[in-house]
Amino acid sequence: MAQSDTLRRTALSATLGPADYLRHLADFWNRRDLLWHMTVRHLRGQYKQSVLGYAWAFVNPLSQMIIMSFVFSTILRVPVPGDTPYPLFLFVGLVPWIFFSTALGSGTDSVTGAASLVTKVYFPREVLPTAAVLTKLVDLFFGFVILAILMAYYGRLPEATSYWFPLLFGIHLIFVLGLTYPLAALNLYFHDVRFLVGVALTLWFYLTPVIYPIDAVPEKYNWVFDLNPNALFINAYRRVILYGEDPELTRVLVGAAIAIITFLVGYWLFKKMEAGFADSI
Amino acid sequence: MPTAFEPVEVDFRSVTKRFALREGHTLREYASYLVNRKPFANDFFALSDVSFSISRSEIVGIIGRNGSGKSTTLKLMAGVTAPSSGEVFVGGRVSPLIELGAGFHPDLTGRENVHLNGSILGMTSREIKEQYDAIVEFAELEEFIDTPVKRYSSGMYVRLGFAVAVHSNPEILLVDEVLSVGDSFFQEKSLAKMHEFRDAGVTVVVVSHSPPLIESFCERAIWLDHGRLVEDGPAKEVLDHYIHSQHEPHLV
Repeated sequence: MAQSDTLRRTALSATLGPADYLRHLADFWNRRDLLWHMTVRHLRGQYKQSVLGYAWAFVNPLSQMIIMSFVFSTILRVPVPGDTPYPLFLFVGLVPWIFFSTALGSGTDSVTGAASLVTKVYFPREVLPTAAVLTKLVDLFFGFVILAILMAYYGRLPEATSYWFPLLFGIHLIFVLGLTYPLAALNLYFHDVRFLVGVALTLWFYLTPVIYPIDAVPEKYNWVFDLNPNALFINAYRRVILYGEDPELTRVLVGAAIAIITFLVGYWLFKKMEAGFADSI
Repeated sequence: MPTAFEPVEVDFRSVTKRFALREGHTLREYASYLVNRKPFANDFFALSDVSFSISRSEIVGIIGRNGSGKSTTLKLMAGVTAPSSGEVFVGGRVSPLIELGAGFHPDLTGRENVHLNGSILGMTSREIKEQYDAIVEFAELEEFIDTPVKRYSSGMYVRLGFAVAVHSNPEILLVDEVLSVGDSFFQEKSLAKMHEFRDAGVTVVVVSHSPPLIESFCERAIWLDHGRLVEDGPAKEVLDHYIHSQHEPHLV
């Protein structure tokens, strides 16, 4: 049973060298069973108490889509490239955006919300924000089900280039995780962080081409969108799903570079702060 | 009884744990700290210079009043917090008995919670499947295992939590106050399980402010008061002194 004749250090330490980094990532990988159970727990908790249950996963994106379509295609008449109907154009961007914003929000609260666990038992804490983010994949899936119905309604098929989507979204997901980790950790020390995230998300929404096409942006502001991973990915989703164009390679590479750097730095910051979690709750 | 040849499983070397007492966690407080340069925290020593070591297959009780540093000691053993100074060494897989509700989700059934709780304690899905029947049987919850745990009584909660913890193949089992919630029959069963553990080479640490509970489980007791180690020795002796001190608080 006990094979450890040499004493090992407890799991937490405030120092974090490159070797520790790899060890942490390996620990995390070894606890994927826990990640799975945590994700299921989040999911069950999310809708179980409500009358409509999982139907809420449809109601939220659908209602946003209807109201925004009305405002931006009937009242404001935002021009959309090609012959794509505005609701379709909007929805291909809106569904990933809703994923991004809800994942970031619930990820930020994930560690604070698990206070009683964090003070009792050690497990790699990144399981908590990761599970919170993965939970939102289910909503994303439902969003795409609505999109499929919408496309059928307009008599459109996804373009063949859609096979790019899983790769693009995979990179996008790495970015979301990398951003969520340090926010979840900081939220323990400063409870203001969750409110700041709310404000930042509102600003970010308007700086991302969700309701308008990227072509509508004046050229001198292009750099904002070239450095905004959400803009890069949402624009790429539209290209591959609606317009049958391959994603622009340089933009994908920039997005991937930002995503990977964000993940590595975010994870590192999270692990740096982890040692103080149980004392700060 | 443990012998000198048993390897050390838990080792505290002049461990000090200092907490910053803060009112809340807002940026406004932090900003006022930056402006006034006044520390916005008062330090509080949960443990000061505590040293002891526990050998494999010992059953040790940690006793003390509220605020004596018992919970901090458990947290350090569980590895959820790091010492401010000194060193904590732990030799094996630690399974804390998670407090009521913490490792459970109220909306999930007992069955689902066994899987959740087991994986939190570091069991793989396969291990949980193998141990599942034994866990349910030990908890005596066969009838209610598919009921959401929010309908459970607190005793049922504890039984399920304890059952998962003892079946998680621990090398060091940390038992908190919660055990006193179970009825006497379940307590007896838990006691038997702990003795079985000791024979199998598992180390058990029980934390309580109740001398009878410690006395029924442990051979050795460590008495903490205000973060300092007062006495460490045979349970009966330490508990006698502890009970005595409760009547004459000025001596401590």
